[in-house]
Amino acid sequence: MEYILHLLIFIVFYTLLAQSLNLSAGLTGLVSLAHAGFYGIGAYTTAILSQQFQLPFWINLPVAMLVCLIISLVVSLIALRTVDDYFIICTLGIQVIIFSLMNNWMDLTRGPLGISGIPSISLFGIALDGKIFFLLLSALFMLAVWYALNNLFNSAFGKTLLAISEDEIYAESIGKNVYQSKVISYAISAAIAAVPGALYAHYISYIDPTSFTVAESIFILSIVIIGGMGNLTGSFLAAAFMILLPEMLRFVGMPNNIAANMRQIIYGAILVLVMMSGKNGISEYFRKIKES
Amino acid sequence: MFPNGQIIVNIFISSSHILLIAFSFSLIYYPTKFFHIAHAVIITSAAYFTFLFANQLSLPFAVSIIAAIAIAVCIGLLCEILFYRAMRKRNAPALAYLIASIGLYTVLQNCISLFFGDDTKIIRTGEVTVGNEIFGAYITDIQIITIIVSALLFVAVNLFLQFTSVGKSIRAVSSNPQLCDIYGINSNRIILIAFGIGSALAAVAGILSARDTNMTPTFGFNLLLYGVVAMIIGGVGSTRGLVAGALLVATAQHLAAYYIDTKWMDAVTYIILILFLIWKPLGFSGVRLRKVEI
Repeated sequence: MEYILHLLIFIVFYTLLAQSLNLSAGLTGLVSLAHAGFYGIGAYTTAILSQQFQLPFWINLPVAMLVCLIISLVVSLIALRTVDDYFIICTLGIQVIIFSLMNNWMDLTRGPLGISGIPSISLFGIALDGKIFFLLLSALFMLAVWYALNNLFNSAFGKTLLAISEDEIYAESIGKNVYQSKVISYAISAAIAAVPGALYAHYISYIDPTSFTVAESIFILSIVIIGGMGNLTGSFLAAAFMILLPEMLRFVGMPNNIAANMRQIIYGAILVLVMMSGKNGISEYFRKIKES
Repeated sequence: MFPNGQIIVNIFISSSHILLIAFSFSLIYYPTKFFHIAHAVIITSAAYFTFLFANQLSLPFAVSIIAAIAIAVCIGLLCEILFYRAMRKRNAPALAYLIASIGLYTVLQNCISLFFGDDTKIIRTGEVTVGNEIFGAYITDIQIITIIVSALLFVAVNLFLQFTSVGKSIRAVSSNPQLCDIYGINSNRIILIAFGIGSALAAVAGILSARDTNMTPTFGFNLLLYGVVAMIIGGVGSTRGLVAGALLVATAQHLAAYYIDTKWMDAVTYIILILFLIWKPLGFSGVRLRKVEI
């Protein structure tokens, strides 16, 4: 039971990550490989604040989001001067720099040793460290983010972002500020990534840089692509699938060390197939079957 | 022995690795115009197959190298034939190729992890030799071979591109694929040849690099990214720019290692890339490229 709760909590974390990346990658067309970096910045900000300054979660979370927002604003002002694959390479570079800082800035992050002893979330002085409570709290955040993103996707600003991803020059010709809209979309997306970061730090109580690598960024991106660009429900379903996949492999009797590789092989293969077919996510296959 | 001589020697060794990889990558990038990230697996697989043949099956070293390069080239060609060609037929956007190649990379890299394990491996050939001393700096035999082989291959393939008809076709497809089809140059065949040559060069670079230091299933990815950075800051489409880019990346890395710490080498590489993308998006050469100017 404990283990199932643990899996559900991780599904919620990755849903939050995938849905926030979906705003920049799916809706605006800014495919970013730095998302695990922002997730990590959220987690590290929380860890340092709660460990060194004994601040509660309710203060850490907004601060973590603010830190992510500021860093992503600076980053996007730089990275958005390039487009398409150069933008991806640029975000990949930013991811490596963020990882390198986490891994090597010993004074601040304790490097590869990681930060341990992060207290669990407490409410009115009562520590709430049960898994059920944590799942409910995370799910609450997920629903709030889901609702907010859904509104954003359907708002006038969301339509502007969609127009930018489909035809940038056209969007500019009808008087939209393309550069500014892209920066805002990227920054909001990064700020939301701090939410699962903060939750993760309090939940696991120990963080180290290996959770926030390039491979992690690729993993989050593949959840978005498998779920479908701009499809929030798809991101949720894909996150659930990707988290449960290694468990299914273990269930059919595959040893642990092979299951980890097999999971990556399977999601890599799905990425290739989705890109080759030119369809938007797995869901479109099912829709086609239903229609015919 | 004074350290500065050693740094200069090390810079030359690193830049010849980076140059060879940047060149092999750009051979594929010019005609196809997308980032073939799965190229990293070509580098890795060549090194691992050399390890398999030479160390585990105890075949002669020369045979192992040739067999490993052949297998790596086959992997490169299969990527193009099975995946990229179908996408080109569909006119997929450049981004789709990049994401598909990240997927391919993930699949192939994990296959290598499954078969060989994630631990660090070393390709051994006979006894360990003491390095040669030049101007107070130490350099091993394999490092001398690396510099010579990289320089020779770079010059030879460049001459091939300049003077043979196939080489000229590759350059023609790089500058305008549609026009080539009109003039009866089969762009699919030319791109396949470019994949073949590029993969062979990457395989050589992978073996040299793994023989010089050691290898893990992900070592090709880092090497490839250094090559990509060198290509971008050198200016896409320029041979001299490529050399300058490789030298700059290697110099920055070794100076960072000497004056700060080796652990900051990666970060310094990418900071240079980002500085270039801001202030000099066309690289050293200044060759115009649509993508970097909005």
